[in-house]
Amino acid sequence: MGSLKIRNLSLSYNGGAPVIEKFNLDVSDGECMGLLGPSGVGKTTILKALAGLIQPDQGCILIDDVDVTALPPEKRDAVMVFQKPLLFPFMNVAQNIGFGLRMRKINGAHKQSEINNILRLTRLDGFGRHKVHELSGGQQQRVSLARALILRPAILLLDEPLSNLDANLRQEMRELIQEIQTKTNITTIFVTHDQSEALMMSQRVSLILDGRLRQVGRPQDLFYRPVDPDVARFFGGCNFFTGEIKNGQFETPLGLFPVGQDLKKNQPYTATIRPEDIVISPANDKHLRGAILRTNFEGAATRLWVQCNGVQLIVLAAGAQYKAHQNVSLHIPPDKIRLFPKNV
Amino acid sequence: MKPWFKPMIVWLIPLAICLPFIPLVLWSLSDRWFYPALGPQTWGLRAWLYVFGSAGAQIIASLLQSILVATITAFTSVIIGTPAGRALGLYDFKGKDFISLLFMLPVIVPPLCVAMGLHLWFIRLSLAETYVGVILVHLTFCLPYSIFVMWGVFSNYNPDYEHQARSLGASSGQIVLKIILPFTMPGLIVAGLFSFLLSWSQYLSTLIIGGGRVTTLPIMLFALMASGDRPVAGAVSIIFVLPALIVLLFSARYLGGRSVVGVR
Ligand SMILES: Nc1ncnc2c1ncn2[C@@H]1O[C@H](COP(=O)(O)OP(=O)(O)OP(=O)(O)O)[C@@H](O)[C@H]1O
Ligand SMILES: [Mg+2]
Repeated sequence: MGSLKIRNLSLSYNGGAPVIEKFNLDVSDGECMGLLGPSGVGKTTILKALAGLIQPDQGCILIDDVDVTALPPEKRDAVMVFQKPLLFPFMNVAQNIGFGLRMRKINGAHKQSEINNILRLTRLDGFGRHKVHELSGGQQQRVSLARALILRPAILLLDEPLSNLDANLRQEMRELIQEIQTKTNITTIFVTHDQSEALMMSQRVSLILDGRLRQVGRPQDLFYRPVDPDVARFFGGCNFFTGEIKNGQFETPLGLFPVGQDLKKNQPYTATIRPEDIVISPANDKHLRGAILRTNFEGAATRLWVQCNGVQLIVLAAGAQYKAHQNVSLHIPPDKIRLFPKNV
Repeated sequence: MKPWFKPMIVWLIPLAICLPFIPLVLWSLSDRWFYPALGPQTWGLRAWLYVFGSAGAQIIASLLQSILVATITAFTSVIIGTPAGRALGLYDFKGKDFISLLFMLPVIVPPLCVAMGLHLWFIRLSLAETYVGVILVHLTFCLPYSIFVMWGVFSNYNPDYEHQARSLGASSGQIVLKIILPFTMPGLIVAGLFSFLLSWSQYLSTLIIGGGRVTTLPIMLFALMASGDRPVAGAVSIIFVLPALIVLLFSARYLGGRSVVGVR
């Protein structure tokens, strides 16, 4: 069991300006919740508060509907795994993993078999007697994860466990964490500043910007239905243009778009479309015309900057057939456009 | 560079350090040694017989007093110096520069002034001529070193290790024993060693505060030297240096920058 409720949480350091204000979040039992936000937004700070390592200025934290706000870290059933592995250098791998059990005065054969189980689960068999400095970065990260998992916490708090790894190891570790999470069904909060990682790893994602929770939802919701331009921008949205609703249509420099949404008339709206949703083709008369300003080859796709009726759009096109200064035609599918009321 | 050059240097340095001890050994083993002879004219064990014989009880008594005073001073110095060094190393607070200057004062001000000034106070507090008084005055000289060593240790220390341990279920007491202690052990040993040796070699402050009641080894040594009996003074000097040397050898592996810096 391990449901988590965060109510009105405000956090600051040494009475300074609040880092996090009035933060609310519900995580249900067994869920893997991604906590996403740019660097320095306060993700680690939230985890530390959940683990009990810093006291909130305001608000409360409930684990399984019990208020744990006043409980010290060692009395909470929430274990945090830090961004750095932080393995204790004066203990070997097995001793590091067994640390939490030792603190709970669990010793002997039971402890040993638990350690062996967890070594197997994290694919570290045979490393028990190794010194921690003999391990690679990825192995250290796994020991650090194993050290928390062995306690079978109600809530596992992972602070960017993949940030110190190279691309290949990242993918491996990602799969391992997902596999362990499904196997053990531990409620997990997974912190990251990498949007694709959050989308991949979590059942739901909560996005924090400027110290506030902006949107919570399934990865698809955040990606395809952002609640405001900032969220869209965080997920790589880069095409923004404005217009007005007139006669049931959205009037913009890029043309008229029929709108299905129930929107107020004669009010300015900001629209966005994802760069991969714009359909590009060699110049023809049917569609919107534009000129390519510059291109950037990215491997699977080419990023194109296209000037079109005074608006600059970024388009992701498969392949590499387009060149700078070329004239092209664009098609903007109306159903892929997302509208936000423009705050005047 | 010739191949024998490096080993020669390596051996020359300890030799140079040992050089001043050679006359001590010679003196202690001499019976008669007058100017301008290069070595003793007659050899003998008179000094050592005296040290272990008729003066034995006296010397052992002051040896014990020295060990007692230096050990308690070293432990107290480390116990007080560690939290102070931790605060200076880990936290920023107002007046930090000023406080660190205050810690330096006993090192800058001549020991005689410190001891004389404290003496007046200690008489009022009836701490003069007591072991507590002597240990306190030794602490004024040892504490700055302990604090500065531990300051260095903690400015290279990552408190997240403690947070991680807490989150894994360690109580405050367990964190001190199982995390802070092993992490800072090299620094603690160096700080303790410095304090022990400083206290061990205190003469003036012991004389002023102890007022002749507390007769540590240096006090004894001075008394014997004043009597002009050089062979005996040589023998006592060796007895004075030996324990310090043993302590130093015992903890030599903890000396050197790497271990003091600690682990990050
Ligand atoms: N010990 C501290 N004392 C004072 N301010 C702090 C402390 N730790 C963090 N902060 C501040 O709080 C804010 C949030 O920091 P936090 O470490 O939670 O960010 P984060 O979202 O985890 O960033 P990252 O992705 O880089 O790890 C930052 O502006 C940081 O400067
Ligand atoms: Mg962080």
